[in-house]
Amino acid sequence: MRVALTGYGIVCAVGRSVAEAWPRLARGERGIGAVTLFDTSGQRASIAAEVKGIVPPRGEGAPWSRSDAMALEAAREALALAGLDPKTRRVGLIVGGTTGGMYETEGLLARMHADAAQRVPNPEMLAHPLSATSDRLVAALGPFARARTLCSACSSGANAFALGAAWLQLGVVDAVVVGGTDGLCRLTYTGFNALGAVDPEPARPFDAHRRGLTIGEGAGFAVLERPAVAEARGAQWDVELVGVGITSEAHHITNPSEDGALAARAIERALSSAGLSPADVDYVNAHGTATPLNDAMESRALTTALGEHVGRAWVSSTKGAMGHTLGAAGAIEAIVAALAVRDSKVPPTAGLEEIDPKCAGLRHVPKGGADATVNVALSNSFGFGGVDTVLALARRGSVRDRAPGERRVFVTGAGSASSAGALRGVENARLTEPRPDAVDPVAGPAGGLDPARARRLDRAARLGVVAASLAGAQPEDGVVMGSSYGDADGSASFLARLLEKGPRLVPPAEFPNLVPSSPTGHVSIYLGLHGPALSVADLSTSGEAALATAFDFIASAAAESIVAGSIEGPSDIAANCLAPAFRALEGKTRPSDRSEGSAAARLSTERGPVELIDVVQGESAAAIASQVKAPRGKAMVIVAERSDDLGAALSGTAWSDCEVRDVVAAVGRHEGLGGFAFAAAAALVERGDVESALVLGSSAGRSYALVLARSKD
Amino acid sequence: MSRTRETLRTELKALIVRELNLEGRDPASIVDDAPLFGEGLGLDSLDALQLAMSIEEQYGVRIPEGPDGRTAFRSVDALAEWIETHPATK
Repeated sequence: MRVALTGYGIVCAVGRSVAEAWPRLARGERGIGAVTLFDTSGQRASIAAEVKGIVPPRGEGAPWSRSDAMALEAAREALALAGLDPKTRRVGLIVGGTTGGMYETEGLLARMHADAAQRVPNPEMLAHPLSATSDRLVAALGPFARARTLCSACSSGANAFALGAAWLQLGVVDAVVVGGTDGLCRLTYTGFNALGAVDPEPARPFDAHRRGLTIGEGAGFAVLERPAVAEARGAQWDVELVGVGITSEAHHITNPSEDGALAARAIERALSSAGLSPADVDYVNAHGTATPLNDAMESRALTTALGEHVGRAWVSSTKGAMGHTLGAAGAIEAIVAALAVRDSKVPPTAGLEEIDPKCAGLRHVPKGGADATVNVALSNSFGFGGVDTVLALARRGSVRDRAPGERRVFVTGAGSASSAGALRGVENARLTEPRPDAVDPVAGPAGGLDPARARRLDRAARLGVVAASLAGAQPEDGVVMGSSYGDADGSASFLARLLEKGPRLVPPAEFPNLVPSSPTGHVSIYLGLHGPALSVADLSTSGEAALATAFDFIASAAAESIVAGSIEGPSDIAANCLAPAFRALEGKTRPSDRSEGSAAARLSTERGPVELIDVVQGESAAAIASQVKAPRGKAMVIVAERSDDLGAALSGTAWSDCEVRDVVAAVGRHEGLGGFAFAAAAALVERGDVESALVLGSSAGRSYALVLARSKD
Repeated sequence: MSRTRETLRTELKALIVRELNLEGRDPASIVDDAPLFGEGLGLDSLDALQLAMSIEEQYGVRIPEGPDGRTAFRSVDALAEWIETHPATK
């Protein structure tokens, strides 16, 4: 692939712009000091890489978080450098992150945990979901042609770049603003402390005496464009994104696998997708968290992937300077790698004094940094749950475009786990039939799963495992699932315990389950899936957004097969606070009943009975209905829940006379119903009830249309 | 110290099963001197952290990281001995 980086912006502890941060990073200056945002007494560490002076905008509109404010600053810088106004072109937006508005809503969550009367639609909570950042950026900078929010823990920002490259290859946008953002908060600070993963001293990546990471915060955003389009509008650029490799270790929810085999495979894929070889790599911006396990594993992975050339490439981690910025890290560090190419300058690993023998085979950048020709750089990002993403960046024009054309995407299986039961394949047609006799699809010890391996899986993850398994997940598959709000109730419980009993008595084993991508990580680990594992957050269209994301990755050749859909666990806070608060934005009320469930379809280049022939995204059903492909033969429209808007949106389109069915009667109401509508549609087409089906989903300011049809040549 | 070593062992086995979600596992089936980690119950570092937190909450006794912690976590017996021979911090 060839994707031009025409703009980039950074906000982190060493600087609030590329002009401020990059020279300091290149010299190895650190931005680490005492935490000022909250009390750290009783914690293992009391330092962080905070960004000073961030003041989230306040006003009449929806509330802003630190994460949102830093994202806006970095995205503005990127757009200004690119000379691009999203209003004037088809520009997309992809945001990666892990905490969203956690810092701003922590106190309220803790109160909600303690007192059910607090679980009411509070407008403050509109800042909470990960998707809030996209919404704020759309409001401040947009409109954008399409927007998406994803999470794969600490590789989130890198996966935003990967998805952006996919969009450009598919030609669905002219340019895309991609990045990651994560504000410091008590939850992650305490969680990493409880895991014993933090160093009380500033982080020392690759050092023999390293004891863990320093938590940071920040945002990194870049403007990606197709070179031909960028050239035509007169844009300038020096560096291109030329390769992406994504794997999942399917090993452990917090620990990397010691052999680094899957991380090595991600590096190899990034190189091979770019047509590059290990001898071409000049610089690696390592994940380099400074935990004992990561740095040893990463050294092994680099040695495996680069082979005899491992001593040739300069390696450094910039986390000793800016801390671990979590969901932003993959984005900020991809930009740092790009700057190393632009300026032929490699930044050092701040804090590295004595190289650990386990990390000794690498060519560490000397203190103070170095001038070195860098034509090709890699940026490694590894996340909780073992999602390893590697981006390859190269000097402009040095790599030939090998992008294949758009590929066809088939549905080879469907599965669901809900009060309608555990359904496989065509059985999912039942999801459109009301079912009064509700059943528990994960009843009994360990929900019918292997008790030893399922013991860390919460109910959401167990539902996801059942659905993905019924959909026919295969070992090389990815797993991309919608998750609207993450585990708000679990976060509330953890925070309440922190405030009540102090940081020593929070449950370490529960923390990894609070990362929004945790259910997908668990599904990948339990079922041994080695493809991209990530979650997508998009309010009540999270399922549709996840299916669209899987389609984008497969059609653009970034992945072969992905099990995609939605996972929504039970949540009292979602039912009584978040869901009604977001419905109120649309001027609607919503009953507080809320069910749970997971539904998935296996999307693949392998030929299946059903083909996903069209995916359209926009601001509303009315705005996209006219762009949707016409039905083939007898057709049906499947929605989460019928509404008056639906008829209006479809009137005048070729779908207007089709029978409409919903899934809410069968499985109850929650944010992942799009996954169920898709599984039902795939089943109805496969069973021959209809030749084609349209899955249409909408929630505040977003709409998706997915068209399924019986496969033909 | 009114609690006997046997009572403490029984409490610890229940705590292990509860804290680590060992669904379907009978606490009484955990052997007093069998290894908890690796080959024994198959527990890992994340489990050790969770158990240390829970033991600190219930008994007020801290289990340190490093070699001392590994000694304490060798078996249910070793854990009981650690708790009996170390002072509560609160």
